[in-house]
Amino acid sequence: MNHAVISCLHANLAAVEAVLNDIDSQGIKTITCLGDLVGYGPQPNEVVELMRQREIPTCQGCWDEDIIDGLNACECSYPSQLAERRGHRAHHWTAAQLTEENKAFLAELPMTLRRDKLLFVHGSPNSQHEYLLPDMNAYSALERVETAGAETLFCGHTHQPYVRELRQGSIRVKVQQRDQDIPTEHELELPMRRIVNAGSVGEPRHGSSKATYVIHDDSTGEVTIREVDYDVVKTCEAIVDAGLPVVFAWRLSHGFEYAERAEDASHVCER
Amino acid sequence: MDRWALVSGLQGDLDLYEQIQKELKQQRGVANLFVLGDLIGSQHNCNALLERLRQPHRADVQPECIYGWWEEQLLAECGYRGERKADGLREEQGEAAVGDLLAAVDADHLNWLASLQFGFIELDCALIHGSSADVSDRLTEDTSALVLLDRLTRLDVNRLFTARCQRQFRLELFSGSIQSHVKDHAGEHQSEQAIPKRSVIGIGGGRQYTLYDPATDHIEFRIAEDPSHASGRGFG
Ligand SMILES: [Zn+2]
Ligand SMILES: [Zn+2]
Repeated sequence: MNHAVISCLHANLAAVEAVLNDIDSQGIKTITCLGDLVGYGPQPNEVVELMRQREIPTCQGCWDEDIIDGLNACECSYPSQLAERRGHRAHHWTAAQLTEENKAFLAELPMTLRRDKLLFVHGSPNSQHEYLLPDMNAYSALERVETAGAETLFCGHTHQPYVRELRQGSIRVKVQQRDQDIPTEHELELPMRRIVNAGSVGEPRHGSSKATYVIHDDSTGEVTIREVDYDVVKTCEAIVDAGLPVVFAWRLSHGFEYAERAEDASHVCER
Repeated sequence: MDRWALVSGLQGDLDLYEQIQKELKQQRGVANLFVLGDLIGSQHNCNALLERLRQPHRADVQPECIYGWWEEQLLAECGYRGERKADGLREEQGEAAVGDLLAAVDADHLNWLASLQFGFIELDCALIHGSSADVSDRLTEDTSALVLLDRLTRLDVNRLFTARCQRQFRLELFSGSIQSHVKDHAGEHQSEQAIPKRSVIGIGGGRQYTLYDPATDHIEFRIAEDPSHASGRGFG
């Protein structure tokens, strides 16, 4: 059966509607959302209400958590200090816009969702703020999936969709104990595991302005990365009208965050 | 190069600490003493040991301390960890143990305990009470090698010295590989990653301590002699 996984909607109503249409037009009935319903974009209430109305199972994203708990997340989530200041502006704007009811809804979202051997998270099983990038150390990536007891891990948060298969892993180990003269040796054979990153519906950063999400066939295991056109200009105008940082509109229309990365690569965690 | 002594789980036992100091002086070339947490506990009055660690005798191998699971419990209970309390201790040993712990440490040691670091990075070694993931992380020789490798990778070190499990072992990850296949909008690519040689060392706890020579990578697991006059130092 095909099911769709969406992530990082970021208050971009036009993108969310286009993606839901794309999913509906294929007759796909099961949709799972990996959070970040709000932040950056201009329609936080509209997007939250659409997800509530469609009753789409959703886990809590980093933005959803921060809007509720305040900005207690690690500032390293931002690539630079300038990006951090803009992020803070978007945070305060979003917090002021959201209705109490919608905030309460975000607060109640679970950290993870599970269906059989499929696990759904925003960042990683450890935290909504951890980035599982496609070039992350392969053993550590496998550890995240394996420790969580899953076979396929669906995540978002990086805004770049990918499918990563980790296979034929092994580790040879030698153990020396206190009262033992000769160390013992054994080999750990690691199972094949997959990480599927759903990309971003409302704030894509994969080099194109198209909204992305994934379709997974849970009988064959096949994953399709979908790219969907939507009215980017409409959302960009709404960003500017709302008084949100103009760079968000620029980023949306380009689909990458190169400019922000270049500003201050040396930003270090203050916590 | 000077050897390191690695100690943990003294839990307020000054006699044991003095015994270990005595043994270290008999060893040649031990210049660094790392106390990897659990300086305190609920069983002994801990103040005399804490005073000694904070103001070492001139002849002592100078101790460098980090905090451990017991310090974390006390600091949490005393409001140093936001809203968290000594939940781990409460769960494991009940309410009375929390009261005993509070009674075992004078309040004027709290700020010093709160100033202790989570771990040390020395050369290519991490010295930590639990692991890079958490102070309560109990790594043993039976922990999955995948998890151990992750804890090493998080700190980008070749050796991780851990104390939380109170066991003495050396586990070496010495070979292996894994295939990674990534598909994204740009296409597909395949890569292979090999295991770098890395180790996790359990240093023991209480009377068990460990000597390490960073020049030769030689490890010696030791047990301190039972300080015969250990009794009689409790709550009076
Ligand atoms: Zn996001
Ligand atoms: Zn996120």
